[in-house]
Amino acid sequence: MSAGINEKDLQLRVAQIIITELKLQDITAETFDPDLDLVDEIGIDSMDLATIVLVLQDEYSIKIDEDDYPKLRAIRLIAAYIQERLQAKA
Amino acid sequence: MSAAQPSSPPKYRFADLLAEPAVRKRWEQVRTYFFLRESTYDMTNRCNIRCDGCYYYAGDKQFAIDNADPTVWRELMRQEKARGITFVVLAGAEPALVPGLLQACYDEIPLGCIATNGVKRIEASVGYKIHVSVWGNDATSLRVRKQKHMLEKQIDNYRGDSRAVFVYTFTRDNIDEAAPVIEQLSANGCKVTFNMFSAPEAYDGLLRHTEETLARTRETMLELLERYPRQVLFSPYSAVAHTHKLGLHALYSCPYPRMNPSTDIGLGRSFRQYRSDLTWDRAASCCVPDTDCVDCRHYAAGSAVVTSKLYRHATAPDTFKAWLDYVDTYLAVWVTGYEKGENLCRGLVDPPHGCGA
Repeated sequence: MSAGINEKDLQLRVAQIIITELKLQDITAETFDPDLDLVDEIGIDSMDLATIVLVLQDEYSIKIDEDDYPKLRAIRLIAAYIQERLQAKA
Repeated sequence: MSAAQPSSPPKYRFADLLAEPAVRKRWEQVRTYFFLRESTYDMTNRCNIRCDGCYYYAGDKQFAIDNADPTVWRELMRQEKARGITFVVLAGAEPALVPGLLQACYDEIPLGCIATNGVKRIEASVGYKIHVSVWGNDATSLRVRKQKHMLEKQIDNYRGDSRAVFVYTFTRDNIDEAAPVIEQLSANGCKVTFNMFSAPEAYDGLLRHTEETLARTRETMLELLERYPRQVLFSPYSAVAHTHKLGLHALYSCPYPRMNPSTDIGLGRSFRQYRSDLTWDRAASCCVPDTDCVDCRHYAAGSAVVTSKLYRHATAPDTFKAWLDYVDTYLAVWVTGYEKGENLCRGLVDPPHGCGA
């Protein structure tokens, strides 16, 4: 990856942030399926997603557009979005 | 996904906004309620009074044929729970007239609120919050609601009842009555919050606010909040949000289905407004159907509209504190057992950039 973050590592970090912020139990970053639909299958709501976005913004010093929230529905999609933002910044 | 454009990171990191211990504590307190998912339900088309400017009798929903079977309501609540609803708002026309249905709902989903005129007491076995609507002093109630000694009856029914919050609705012509009414409620130990009259669609009566009455209402709200900090559940930012010359939708973008076509996440996905025949219509769904959306400053609408905009308020310390105060107020007004804390932001903060202000 040109921005210097390995895709798998990024997915694991996003998973860890979601687990921490939502206080999810019985799941680890390693066992979190990156394609799981966070809305349909985990049951997160707009407030949960906003919280995760704020923490991700801090972590990667990027801005995540509000209009893009609904599309950030899986760890793989979130990681790809972050990667895209980081590359645009580089 | 939108094409990635280089954009500056936010000026304040979220961690910085949470650095102050009192702010962090409040954030941790309110976020435990992010699990709340609401829907609203008209309980019956009957009412024991008739008010000028009533939302219930403004549209088609008044013609629904009541389903009065508690078994059917109980099953509806089970289905609602299964699709993720955790908080019910029982409203129109007068829920106190159908106590068996209220109990059926409470037995299945124990978090919720009932909007009532307070003339008939709701049994203590229904542990929802109870919002008692107050539209002015007794002379005004007689004129607008055709009911004698309204406030006296409401207080008699709900004095000392921790479920009750009296909701004073500011109209164009009752602003000066608020102080003595709140004094009376306060003297009786009643909790109070504020609402704004928001015109029903096609309403051409005299209660609709003007810029001048919005400004005067804001001043009055702030004075009363200062004077009765223990009894008045409100915040300076609540006053700003609800008395702004722009309505809630223009300021914050209403997330209710009626104004929000997205079904991706949040209220646009899960919220329904059921009529008393248990049908619902996505195109008409919001917390107070048949309100003119341009004029909507309704407290119930704001509770979701402003609260859901966490992201837009996590931009600067005072803006974030103001939002926390708003959410703290919302929870104290709507959720049984939640106690309001002191407001963190005493100044008047404008709605954040990007909120249409």
